[in-house]
Amino acid sequence: MDNNKIFFGKRPKNPLIKRVWKDMWRDKKRYLMIFIMLVATIGMVSGIYVANNSMLDSLHKNVAELKREDGHFRLSGKADEETLENIATGELADVPAVYRERAYEKAEGEVQKAVDEATEESVAEKVKEVIRAEVESAVTEQLSQAEKKGVKYSEEEKQSAIDEAYENALTESYDSAYDEALKQAKETEEYQNALKDALADAQTEIDKEIDEKYAELSDRYGLDEKFDPVPVTIYELFYKDTEEYRADGDNIGKVRVYPMRTDIDLYDILDGRSPENENEIVIDRMHADNAKIKTGDTLKIGGTDFEVVGLVSFVDYTTLYESNTDTMFDALTFDITMTTDEGFERINSNTRANYAFTYRNKPSDEYEEKLLSDHFMKALITQVAVSEDEDLKIEDYVPAYANNAMTFAENDLGHDKIMSSVLLYILTAVMAFIFAVTISTTLEQEASVIGTLRASGYSKNELLWYYMSAPMIIVLLASLAGNVIGYTSFKDTIVDMYYSSYSLPNYVTLWTPEAFIRTTIVPIVLMLVINLIVITRTLKLSPLRFLRHDLKRSKRKKAVRLPKWKFFSRFRIRIFLQNIPNYLMLFVGITFVMLLLSMAVGMPETLNCLQDTMSDSLFAQEQLILSSTEDDDGIIITTKADGAERFSINSLERKSDTYNEEVSIYGVEEDSRYIKLSNDICKDDNGEIQVYISQAYAEKYKVDPGDTIVLSEKYEHKEYSWKVYDIYDYPGGIAVFMTNGQFNKAFDKDEDDFSGYLCNEKITDIDSKYIAKEITLDDTLKIARQLDHSLGAYMVYFRYICVIVAAIILYLLTKIIIEKNERSISMTKILGYDTGEIASIYLAPTAVVVLISEFLAIFIGFELMAVFWKYMMMSMSGWFAFTMPFSGFVKEYVLVFVAYALITVIDFLRIRKIPKVLALKNVE
Amino acid sequence: MSEQERKFLEVKALKKSFGNGETKQDVLKGLDFTVAKGEFCVLLGPSGSGKSTLLNILGGIDNADSGEIFIDGDRLADMDEKGLTRYRRKHLGYVFQMYNLIPNLNVKENIETGAYLSDKPLDIDELLKILGLYEHRHKLPNQLSGGQQQRVSIGRAIVKNPDILLCDEPTGALDYNTSKEILQLIEEVNRKYGNTIIMVTHNEAIKLMADHVIKLRDGMIRRDIVNTEKITAAELEW
Repeated sequence: MDNNKIFFGKRPKNPLIKRVWKDMWRDKKRYLMIFIMLVATIGMVSGIYVANNSMLDSLHKNVAELKREDGHFRLSGKADEETLENIATGELADVPAVYRERAYEKAEGEVQKAVDEATEESVAEKVKEVIRAEVESAVTEQLSQAEKKGVKYSEEEKQSAIDEAYENALTESYDSAYDEALKQAKETEEYQNALKDALADAQTEIDKEIDEKYAELSDRYGLDEKFDPVPVTIYELFYKDTEEYRADGDNIGKVRVYPMRTDIDLYDILDGRSPENENEIVIDRMHADNAKIKTGDTLKIGGTDFEVVGLVSFVDYTTLYESNTDTMFDALTFDITMTTDEGFERINSNTRANYAFTYRNKPSDEYEEKLLSDHFMKALITQVAVSEDEDLKIEDYVPAYANNAMTFAENDLGHDKIMSSVLLYILTAVMAFIFAVTISTTLEQEASVIGTLRASGYSKNELLWYYMSAPMIIVLLASLAGNVIGYTSFKDTIVDMYYSSYSLPNYVTLWTPEAFIRTTIVPIVLMLVINLIVITRTLKLSPLRFLRHDLKRSKRKKAVRLPKWKFFSRFRIRIFLQNIPNYLMLFVGITFVMLLLSMAVGMPETLNCLQDTMSDSLFAQEQLILSSTEDDDGIIITTKADGAERFSINSLERKSDTYNEEVSIYGVEEDSRYIKLSNDICKDDNGEIQVYISQAYAEKYKVDPGDTIVLSEKYEHKEYSWKVYDIYDYPGGIAVFMTNGQFNKAFDKDEDDFSGYLCNEKITDIDSKYIAKEITLDDTLKIARQLDHSLGAYMVYFRYICVIVAAIILYLLTKIIIEKNERSISMTKILGYDTGEIASIYLAPTAVVVLISEFLAIFIGFELMAVFWKYMMMSMSGWFAFTMPFSGFVKEYVLVFVAYALITVIDFLRIRKIPKVLALKNVE
Repeated sequence: MSEQERKFLEVKALKKSFGNGETKQDVLKGLDFTVAKGEFCVLLGPSGSGKSTLLNILGGIDNADSGEIFIDGDRLADMDEKGLTRYRRKHLGYVFQMYNLIPNLNVKENIETGAYLSDKPLDIDELLKILGLYEHRHKLPNQLSGGQQQRVSIGRAIVKNPDILLCDEPTGALDYNTSKEILQLIEEVNRKYGNTIIMVTHNEAIKLMADHVIKLRDGMIRRDIVNTEKITAAELEW
């Protein structure tokens, strides 16, 4: 053996690396599809994260830069300086002391008066007695002297002389004597003691009464709990609510006008400039977009014309909530505006005494912020209670963290991030499984090669990483490309979407590490783990089993016995049995698509349904709530509108750890034509109040007739427990219904008290100054209208995206099934079967699986969506269930079926292209 | 030749059965033999005689029920799965009846899959010339004839210059002329590189070119012959 003739070379680079690229090129269609889907999804999610992060950063910065309030409170009228100063200290007012002082002051006068009167009476009597005694003695002496001189007096004459002298003495010296005596009497210890005792008795009575009242107050507000003063700076932020009209008189909706803001709750100008004179106004940019108002337009607000000189975003109104208790914001028919102080004076409407405040010591976190706001509320309540203006009341108190107008947009951006991430992960998992199934098929096809390589000394890990390479490269490239697209075009699309829903400020695009992690690291890890598990399971098998093509884990020695059906049927069943893992994957994929479609189809359907049921179920076309039920002359306000009926309304809260829901309490006439309650409602054996609850209430909180509901006063700890008599068919809101009598009894009101009128006709004969609120159908449709506006258009596009996703998933999975059977298909061709017959054998099982999967997935998707929907609604006020009419299901079914039909055509062509020689070739 | 070289491969009381209970089938019933270093050994026997099972056990891709195998002094039973993979990687080359080439790698790249496993592989171009494939080095497997594909498969196995080349019916799927070409190639490899070659075949004629012939039947060694009158592959006839 001549070793000199042997030439050694260098160890080459791993040739399998070259093969990875070759594999990807050979299967470029499949990889391209997966790549496109991942890029699109990652791009979208990355766009959402970047847009979110940039916008949130801008919102957070604006809190400080634009001096956002830490909360606000509205009083029934303008508070005096002293009250505001006291509120600003953030200290609890000593309510009992002030009340006691007031009561003592009042009592002191009364006691003094009473004691003085008694003393005066006593002194007068005594003075008179003394004078009489002195006069009697003097006159008797004189008469006695005269009798000694011989003058005779009868007894009557004597008495008469005494009386006359007494009267003269009274006239001459009573006053001075009385004054002197009174003075002396008041100087006596007896008098002082009497006064002291009387005062002490009165104060004891007062203390008892005040202590009782304070105990109740303390219990309600938790005034005895640990309290730290919360010093704040208070700013006047008065506003006027009125109507907004175009120059041509067309009513746009409601508008809230503020005077010039300089110290608190500033604004970001997105177009134009600030108002400079009384004729100029800036309006909310979002509302301007929706109502098609631009700078230079003229608006009639509160009877006065204003020129719109700027479109702005107020830091305290990133979402246009008219009231914090509204279910949904309304950027369509509600506007926030600002004019100069002079312009504000020109507006003909009541000024609302709203005050913003900022904490002097900023809270470090949300927990502390909540604690501060709770403490400040106590200070506010007590300070208003002790105000000089005894009629001053708190009408509203909203800390910033609980203000929907400030937090909703921010929270919603957060929800978008979570939702899109979940979708990305589901889709990546689906794609990873498709990869895994594809690779499993490849492992089967390449079993002998793998066996040879393993027998030659390739380790499992070397082969594992080789087979992992393609999915990892695809997901890595898709992540990079997706992030590039996310940061560029998709981010702008998402921002535009946000701008069309919320009144957001200008923003600067930020590098977002979270986007990178969520859209790159997580998909890579998902792809890695899923493929690792699937591929490792197969590669664990011995080289010999690969060489023998024996890769089945469960060793089924015998084929499943089939009934004596026709040959074609049995053939199809065999195809089905062979591809069960692929069909399971197909089912998961279709379920995923159906979940997305449920949202795309169901959301508009739900909103339509909501609008219809709202219109049908509204119990009166108009609900008029009066600010006072008596006019200026003290006469009860009535209306002649046909069918008008008195009703009462109040708001309570259903408290829970996660969300406090505002509940409307209605009191209606016993035989109301609008809200028909059973006559038995009052007749509970235990004397307990029984009520109806709205269908929305029952559905949201799963309450049944017979259950007891507990509601609380919003700013007090007073609770109301009512037994539910029945569910009232009203899906429009979270409400409780009872008779007016029950209502007045429950809330300690006069027997005939009421809040306003229900009527199907427009009530026109009540002076607007007595009207506090007018609720029409339009108001109740606000939520549906806003959601439809924000999401409606996107849902249509979303539907098409779902069809494309469905088509891609179906394409990828059916491709695997056909590839797996290529040689068999080739052989059946050689045997003489035509393409139609072959297609019917190989495509029919898939068709059946798709149709059945669709059917099941529709319901699973709907149920999953209903769960998501409920989760979403539980964090919002109000309720409407996720609904899908039968036509919606049909639409979903048809959309996926269309996608499948398209793919079937491609599959048919694929089968036709399989050459007959394939079956005759070697395994390679 | 030293004792170590004479007993380069030593098999002792090797047993293997498949199935259990009534279906138990003894495939190897206690084999004892040795193969010297550089020897061309042919395992001969009809179908079902256990020769492929023996080859797989020698290759570390199947396990024996009992008995021992020593290769160059190393006991195969002492090796765990990783150890066996390392053993195959460093010492063994495999050639199968089916060529099992990677379809989308060309001839040279397929051979590189073997070269990658060795720290000191043979020069690939030189080997391609010896295999008669240099002109075809850029072709994909499906552009080659069966014989050419088997040459590639031999090239892949031999490029890492293994101590032992295991060939499982390498000519089983080839015609007479091509089979002779392949046998000539294996003979050339054995001569040039000095590898120990163990070839499984049922072709009686091939025993004539071997240094050592072990005849198997029913899982037992019927004859263990040292061929002192071996002829070249070119001279074989069947």
